[in-house]
Amino acid sequence: MSTRKGGKLQSEIPGLSKALCMKLLSDLERGKRPVLHATKCSLDNAIYNHKVGYFTPGGKKVATELNVSSVKKMSRAVFMLEILLRNIDTGAVNTKRELYYISKGETKGTPSLKPLDFTEQGESDDTIDFICELLECYREEMNCYANDRGGQTYSQNLVVTETLPDGDTAVVDLSKLGTSPFQPKNRPQNLRLSMKKKIDFCLIVESEGTANTLVANGMTKRHNCIVMGAQGVPSNAVRGWAKLIQDQLSVPMYFFGDLDAYTMQNIFRTLKAGSAASLIRNQDYSAPDVRFLGVLPEDIKKYDLFDYPVKENDAQEVRALKKADDALRNDPFFQDKKNKGSADILRWLMKNKRRCEQQAYFSVNPKDPTMPEKIIIDKIKRGEYV
Amino acid sequence: MADSKKISSSSTAEYFSKNLQQVGFSSQTKAVLTTLKEAVDNALDACEEHGITPDLKVEIDRLGPGSIKNSERIRVVVEDNGPGIDGEDLPKVFGEYLASSKFGRGRCTRGQQGIGISAATTWAQLTCAQGAKVVSKTKAMRKAVSALIEVDIKNNKGVMKNRETFDWDRPHGTRVEFMFDGRIQINGEAGLLNYLLGSTLVNPHLNLEYKLPDQEWQKVERVTQEMPMIPEATEPHPHTMKLGEFIAHSHLFGRQKVSAWLKKGFSRIGDSVIDEIAKKKEFGLPKSMFEKLVDQLPDGELNKLFSAIQNTELKAPSTNSVLSIGEDALAKSIQRLGKVDYFSVVTRKPTICDFKPVQVEVAIARLESKSSEADSPVQLLRFANRVPLQFDKSACAIAQSITSVNWRSYGLAQPKDSFPTGPYIFAVSVVSPFIKFKNASKETIDASDELVEEIRRALMQAGQKLSRYIKAEHKANELEEKIRYIEQFGPILVEGLARITNAKEDQKKRARDGLLKILGRDATATEKELTDANKKLEIQKAKDAEE
Repeated sequence: MSTRKGGKLQSEIPGLSKALCMKLLSDLERGKRPVLHATKCSLDNAIYNHKVGYFTPGGKKVATELNVSSVKKMSRAVFMLEILLRNIDTGAVNTKRELYYISKGETKGTPSLKPLDFTEQGESDDTIDFICELLECYREEMNCYANDRGGQTYSQNLVVTETLPDGDTAVVDLSKLGTSPFQPKNRPQNLRLSMKKKIDFCLIVESEGTANTLVANGMTKRHNCIVMGAQGVPSNAVRGWAKLIQDQLSVPMYFFGDLDAYTMQNIFRTLKAGSAASLIRNQDYSAPDVRFLGVLPEDIKKYDLFDYPVKENDAQEVRALKKADDALRNDPFFQDKKNKGSADILRWLMKNKRRCEQQAYFSVNPKDPTMPEKIIIDKIKRGEYV
Repeated sequence: MADSKKISSSSTAEYFSKNLQQVGFSSQTKAVLTTLKEAVDNALDACEEHGITPDLKVEIDRLGPGSIKNSERIRVVVEDNGPGIDGEDLPKVFGEYLASSKFGRGRCTRGQQGIGISAATTWAQLTCAQGAKVVSKTKAMRKAVSALIEVDIKNNKGVMKNRETFDWDRPHGTRVEFMFDGRIQINGEAGLLNYLLGSTLVNPHLNLEYKLPDQEWQKVERVTQEMPMIPEATEPHPHTMKLGEFIAHSHLFGRQKVSAWLKKGFSRIGDSVIDEIAKKKEFGLPKSMFEKLVDQLPDGELNKLFSAIQNTELKAPSTNSVLSIGEDALAKSIQRLGKVDYFSVVTRKPTICDFKPVQVEVAIARLESKSSEADSPVQLLRFANRVPLQFDKSACAIAQSITSVNWRSYGLAQPKDSFPTGPYIFAVSVVSPFIKFKNASKETIDASDELVEEIRRALMQAGQKLSRYIKAEHKANELEEKIRYIEQFGPILVEGLARITNAKEDQKKRARDGLLKILGRDATATEKELTDANKKLEIQKAKDAEE
């Protein structure tokens, strides 16, 4: 089964689910042990080709055989699948947290289902992921969304048209929102984008606060651009939204974030090429055109930025540095020659064990609040990015 | 330099009365435990010396507030059926320091120096202004003698007061009663119960009746009539001695030839060793020197002789002088700790550690009563010469050995660098005529590398035996779990699949039957594993029984 885009797959899910359950049932009827195959979502099954631009799944499958140890997992999957199919049928949507409580409500109301009860949300989340891997579909296609997080977007020239479930359309002109940002939805595939005037670039800023500051200081007024805050590791909404901007507007995309191993591996790489854990949905949830604008190692010297050594007690950074070594050897993204620039930054970080934050640009001329903007524009003009 | 006029000497009793913390009286709770322990040690040693299977009665009471702040007035009574003590010896035994029949004899008795019981008398005297009330009767005495024994601290002498004789309804025995200030701790590692529990475990031949405050009398019956064989002492090995001890040893033998003194007074020295020393010119000790009389030998010659012996290879000391409880007796005794699910016992062969004979025994039991303590560290009972050790655990060789073993490989949970956890009792007994303690209160065994390794080996052997039980149990749990899973999830899975596919009733039934068949095969496989594990266990039990 191949991964497909948008709403098309949602209509296929009930049929696919039924076929899967029929197969299980008929195996059981014949006393044959059913085996379920799901795409293996891990780095050793991730293929990266710079022409494609994002991680795609290899041929490895994880086989789950029905036995005493897996009977609970399979029962839970069938139980949750029923809830999700019901949602698709009625058009209801839920967050993962809500589905956790819906499933608890079901087991509470039906004593015979009590053994399936999830004791914490992690268990129900895993079950939902397992179903998605079995059916090779996006969680969003199951009407199951994460909480909206990140992706606040500002522009004077972007217009968003949304097709609502009832067929109506809503048009949002971002220039009319004042200082309020546009918040992309979990299924950005339903949006259509247009430009009032040619947009020169899209800037994705790691810190949503800094994105806000750039806009408040007039960046979107002075430049025909889109500014978006990623808010750390990009959520599906941010990833899908960036992909949509890339595909529908064909504008240059730049990422502006900290110079550290965590940002490079977990934020920038996920935004650009997706992740190994989400192999089946990287196609619609990665923006391969995004370039790393900075902070670059050479910026430290050039702009005399404040940087500092990685603290030993900063567990996240220490772990990311250790992971960097592994990434250089095993991660096909960093191994690809097209991404040599990103790999070189990782090598520099490992060697120097220093980091520099995006906010360090504010130290260049403390009296000029638009200094970071000037540096960013200057870097874009000079082509100083990787 | 100090002014010589101000320098005065003090008696041993004076020293200990000012330093009772060194001999186990460092806190009020420890005072109660140490008093009990010294009285019980003496009673058991006396019984064993005379081949009497011990019947002990222990009574501990709270009498009201004590004279020290936050203390209670405590009464400890220990009565035994031992040989009894002659009236005139009572002051020596209970009121004089270092007046022991056991000092430095190289035997595996509980008491060694003759300090403990006099220290208990001193503590009672200091806190309650009266010493030990003693009743005793030997077989030869027509009437029992009762008296109050106190320590004349200035002169290290026992003083007998209120001496009386009376008819006692038993052939022989001793009853000692102490009243003093302290605080009672019943439970916990340093508690009285732990001490009594430990004492019964390592003394399978002991009949113990005890009464703790606010509790009924308890009786723990002996599980064997066999008395432990206390081996005769062996002569000291010269490599375990220091020069001063060597010279002092020479004075004990009076007018003897040097060769005779060496052969009689030490182990592992015979004619061949003497010949070897005489032959080596670098020692400068001709054969004629060995014919001289030892009391006429100048210190210089003794020095030379000492260093020649130290530089001559000798056989390791004999291990005949150590005593063991034995796996059989331990296996019976461990049942007295409570309802035991399973246990394993190991008695290592006597060996030499740090040039001293030593024997290690280990008993590990899982107790039903402790089943709620699955996440707590195992309870440890430590013994040195069959005396429970209850303080300063972390520095002890036994505790260090336990931590060094990887218990996870035997199926026990164990946090990193810590004791394993679970409802188990670990009892480790170290027996040696020369146990190296860290302090005079004998609370911690010195953790030398060799001793730690020897204890570790014993623990690993016990762990291996135990792991067979744990594995068998694990398999049984697994089987139970699998059956439970099949019963619980089988119908749910089929129902769910049937609802999604709108399956008919007969389809559902066939699927349910098929599922039970598939999962049943898994359970049968586990059942076979369980049978195999149980078979292995039976083989081990049979092997243990043969041994």
